[in-house]
Amino acid sequence: MNYATQVQQLRKTYELKGETVHALNSITFDVPEGDYVAIMGASGSGKSTLLNMLGCLDRPTAGKIILAGDDTSTLTDDELSFIRASRIGFVFQSYNLIQQLTVIENIEVPLFYRGQVTAQDRKRCIELANMVGLGDRINHRPTQLSGGQQQRVAVARSLINHPDYILADEPTGNLDSKTTEEILQLFERLNNEGRTIIIVTHEDDVSQHAKRIIRLHDGEISFDRLNEHRRNAISGEMIPTASTVS
Amino acid sequence: MLWLRTLNLGIKSLLLHPMRSLLTILGIFIGVASVIWLLAIGEGISAKAQEQIEGLGADNVIVRSVKPPTEATAGTRGIVPYGLTRDDRDLLIETISAIEKAVPIREISRQFSYGPTLIHGRLVGCTPEYYDMTQLEIERGHFISDRENERGDNNCVLAAEVSEALFGYKDPIGKRIHIETDYYTVVGVLKPRVATSAIGGSLSGQEFNKDVYIPINTLWERIGDRIITRRSGSFEGEQLEINQITLRIKTNNKDNTTAILETADLIRVSLEHHDRMKDVAIVVPLELLEQAKQTRLMFMVFMGLIAAISLMVGGIGIMNIMLATVTERTREIGIRRALGATRSDIVRQFLVETIVLSVVGGVTGIIGGLLCVPAVDIVRDAVTAYDATLMASMPEVVQEVSPQIVPISIPIAFGISVIVGVIFGLYPAQRAANLDPIEALRSAN
Repeated sequence: MNYATQVQQLRKTYELKGETVHALNSITFDVPEGDYVAIMGASGSGKSTLLNMLGCLDRPTAGKIILAGDDTSTLTDDELSFIRASRIGFVFQSYNLIQQLTVIENIEVPLFYRGQVTAQDRKRCIELANMVGLGDRINHRPTQLSGGQQQRVAVARSLINHPDYILADEPTGNLDSKTTEEILQLFERLNNEGRTIIIVTHEDDVSQHAKRIIRLHDGEISFDRLNEHRRNAISGEMIPTASTVS
Repeated sequence: MLWLRTLNLGIKSLLLHPMRSLLTILGIFIGVASVIWLLAIGEGISAKAQEQIEGLGADNVIVRSVKPPTEATAGTRGIVPYGLTRDDRDLLIETISAIEKAVPIREISRQFSYGPTLIHGRLVGCTPEYYDMTQLEIERGHFISDRENERGDNNCVLAAEVSEALFGYKDPIGKRIHIETDYYTVVGVLKPRVATSAIGGSLSGQEFNKDVYIPINTLWERIGDRIITRRSGSFEGEQLEINQITLRIKTNNKDNTTAILETADLIRVSLEHHDRMKDVAIVVPLELLEQAKQTRLMFMVFMGLIAAISLMVGGIGIMNIMLATVTERTREIGIRRALGATRSDIVRQFLVETIVLSVVGGVTGIIGGLLCVPAVDIVRDAVTAYDATLMASMPEVVQEVSPQIVPISIPIAFGISVIVGVIFGLYPAQRAANLDPIEALRSAN
C-alpha cells in the first residue's frame, strides 16, 4: 500500500518557563493514499502541534514523519519550505488569502515558490477556480468575496501543486452551517477523486464526513477508528449532514 | 522571471499604501537631489572663483601698492610717499631674469569733460601691453602705442561708457577731451568689458567701463606722482609712482608651477625694503589658484557630507516604514512561509520593495537635481521681482552663483540611494524572514 504520510514514534516537547511540556508523546499512525482522516481533540490535546508537524512547519523532537517515502524530520528549513510548496496543500480556518492579490493570483502563490510558472500552470489555476465555482470571479480580491467563497479559493490554492495530501485546519470554523456543508462536500468530492485529506477539527459534525477519526488526548492517540457513518454512505446510504447529525 | 514577479508583487504592495510609499520616496528624493544640488552649487561657486583667478593670468605675478597702515606713517608730517617706484620696476627687471615683461600702471580717480558734459572715472596710465594683459578689445581707432608712450603724447583711449557719456553717437576719434588741466586727443574707443570682481581681498574689483587710458609716461610727466584731492575744504594727498606692476614670468613648459612660485619668492625678497611700511602687496594668481583648488575640494567634501547625512535620514525613513510594514504584514509572511516561501524568498520580497522605493526616489531625485540650474535662476528672478533691494543686499555669491552639475554626482547619488535602500531594507527584511511561520500565522494582522 502507498502511504501519503507515515507518522512514527513522533514526539514533541517544548520548554516553557523552565518546565518541559510534552505536546506529543510517541504518536504513530499511517495515512494511506486516498484516505480522509479527521484529527480531533480538545484544545491542548496536541492536535495543533501535530498539524504543524504534518504541515512541515515544525520539526519533531524525536520520531519521524515520512512523506510518501521521504523522511522530513531531518530536512533543513529551505528543504521543508520546498516540500510545503510542492507536496502539501494547506487550508486554514481563517482562509489566509493574501489580501492584495486577486483570486487567480492567490491560487498560484505556491507555484511561485515551487519555481517556474508555466502557461499550463495558469490554465490549471483557472480550471481550479472553475472547479470550486469561482470561475467568474478570478479577478476579485478576497475582500470582495464571502467567507465560503474565500475558503473555496483556499481549497483551490491547496490543489494547485498536486499535493500528497491536503491539510485542513478547522476549515469550517469561521463558516455558517450552509457554507460549512458546501466546503465539506467539496472535500468529499476531492476525496472521491482519490485525494488524501487530513482535517483537524474539534467538531463532531465535521469529523463525521471523514473515513477515519483519530482522537488525541494529552499528546497521545486515544482513539483511531474508521468512521461507520461515512463507510455506510459510500455503500449507498444517505450522507449525514451537519443538520441531520445534530 | 522570479525577480520580475517579485518586483511586480513589490510594486503592488507599495501601491496598496500610495501615500506612505510617496512619503518614503520623498525622503530619498530629497537626499539624492540635495547631493546633486549641493555639489552643483559648490562647483558653481568654486569654478567662478577659479575663473576669476585664471583671468589674472596664471603665469603672472602682480605687485600692488597699498596705502600703508596709519601706524606705519605715524609721527611723520605732510604727504608720505609710498608704494612701488620706478626704481622698484627697474630693479625687478634687472635682477630677476625670469621676468619676461613688467607692465606698470598708475590709476587716479578723475573727472573727464568734453564741452559741457562731465563724467567721473578712472584715469589709467599704462603701457601698450596692458591691452593684452587685461583682455581689452578695441572698437575704433587703436590702443596706446609704444611710440606714443615713449614720446609721452597727450593721447587717450576711452572705455565704452566714457565715450558714450561724452560723445553719445558722435565719433570721438580725433576729438580732444579735458582732464585736469590738459587736453588729450582721443585715438581709440574700447568695446564694453565685463567687470572683474574682487578676489580674496588682495585685489579689488575693476570696472573698466569708466576708464580713460593714457600713456604712463604722459601721466608721470603731466600729472606727476603727487596727487592732491580737495574734499569739502580739506586737502588729501598721496604720493605714489606706480599702483600696480603685472609681471609676466618666463616659463619652460616642463615645470611652470615651481618656476612661477620660485620667481614669486625672488620678487618677495627683492621688495623686502617695503616690508617696514607694508605698502606693497604681492598677488600670485597661481598660489590663489592652488588655494582655490584646495578650498574647492574642501567645499565638495563638506557639501558631500551634508548630502550624505540627508540621504542617511532618507534611509532611516525607509527602514522605519519597512519595519512598520513587516509588523503589519506578519500574517501575510506566515501565509507565504506556509505555502512554501523560504526565508530568502521573504528577504527578497521585502528587499525588492525597499529597492523599488529607493530607486524611484533616486531617479526622481536625479531629475530634481538636474532642475537645479533653472530652479536657481527662477528663485533668483522671483526674489528680485518681489524685492529688488533684498536681492541687492545679498552677498555677491548668492546674486551670481550659477550651479554647475557635476556629472559624476549623478551615478554617485543613484548608487548611494540604491545602497541606502539595500542597507536599510536588509534589517526589516531579515526580521520578516526570521519570523516563526507558526507564530506569524497566528498573528492577528
